[in-house]
Amino acid sequence: MLKGSPLRRYRLSRISRFMILLVVLMFASIPRALAHRVILFAYAEGDKVFTESYFSDGKRCQDSRIEVFDSSGNKLLEGKTDRNGQFAFEPPKKMDLRIVLTASMGHRDEYVIPAKELQGGSEGSAGKSGHNQASKKVLQGEKGKPTGQLGRPEVEQIRVAVEEALDEKLKPIMRLLAERRNDGVSFVGVMGGIGFIFGIMGIILYFKSRKGR
Amino acid sequence: MHISEGVLSAPVLATGAALTAAGCGIGLKKLDYDRVPQVAILTSAFFVASLIHVPIGPSSVHLVLNGLMGLLLGWAAFPAILIALFLQALLFQFGGITSLGVNTFNMAFPAIICFYLFAYAVKGRNHLMSMAAAFACGFSAILVGCLMVAMSLAFTGDPLVGVAKIVAVAHLPVMIIEGLITVFSTGFLRKLKPELLEAAHAKR
Repeated sequence: MLKGSPLRRYRLSRISRFMILLVVLMFASIPRALAHRVILFAYAEGDKVFTESYFSDGKRCQDSRIEVFDSSGNKLLEGKTDRNGQFAFEPPKKMDLRIVLTASMGHRDEYVIPAKELQGGSEGSAGKSGHNQASKKVLQGEKGKPTGQLGRPEVEQIRVAVEEALDEKLKPIMRLLAERRNDGVSFVGVMGGIGFIFGIMGIILYFKSRKGR
Repeated sequence: MHISEGVLSAPVLATGAALTAAGCGIGLKKLDYDRVPQVAILTSAFFVASLIHVPIGPSSVHLVLNGLMGLLLGWAAFPAILIALFLQALLFQFGGITSLGVNTFNMAFPAIICFYLFAYAVKGRNHLMSMAAAFACGFSAILVGCLMVAMSLAFTGDPLVGVAKIVAVAHLPVMIIEGLITVFSTGFLRKLKPELLEAAHAKR
């Protein structure tokens, strides 16, 4: 059908062949293409908070500064990541902690670990008292409801046990979620960005062409 | 080499933004509208280049392509890099919106320096000289960029020499790769589209 049509005789100039090659190379590189930023995530286990820091190509941030602030911005403690980009600390207060990672070359990320998560630990008196407070609050909220045959202390114990068990079970999932939280670069993002750029070009040329008339 | 949000102090951010605004003003004024498509192509190249990691060395580094941008675009590299970095901040959370001015200046200023230092030699007759100049252009654009980053960080208290050393050593493989990329690109353009190498000089 195409025989004799102008399409058939159309041959690519060398420059367009080069452009096509470039585009193909670009596409080929995208699956391995990774964002350039640092990612910090933290989770509580027992009475400790563990942090992991890595560049988004998976390289660990070694020897980078970790600072921990309380909710009003006071620095609580400071430390450095080890060879695996990890740093663990015992939270001095049970409150929302803002953890800030400063890696080399001006990279920075922060992660807020809510006070709730810090209470997950089964050890440590502070952790326990936190538990009791939380349970008490909930109980007060349910004052009107009958608690069945069980006395209040028993309900509390069950609640604490369930919470602990849940925490334990959910930890890997929380970790996965935290790990996946800012996976910035996507194919859509890359294509969208290129589209933006050519869109801007189109707008400029459009106004230019109107002026020219 | 994107500096994240919240690392630099307000005066540094403001200075960077002001310098970038000035650079973009000059760039847009000098920009010949026939070259807008070329600027757009190089902007998207720069936009994508940061996604290509160089898996050599202790840190995490990526291509920048600011030497090539400067060489082919001259002052138009300023608005081009601004747009590319803005989109990177928006879409990938590289760098940040507040540090956009500083980041743009850190990458575009070396591009302009390299344009003035090497563009003449690159488009010259002597083939060997042209190749050497192209390599030097790609190489030193990154080197100067590293110094700029170190300087910006130094204003907020990091030791200048220490940071400069770390950044430059981490980017050594990138410098070499970008030098080679610039050699190949300009070699290709010299054969096929030599007028592109002239274009940045056309309007002064």
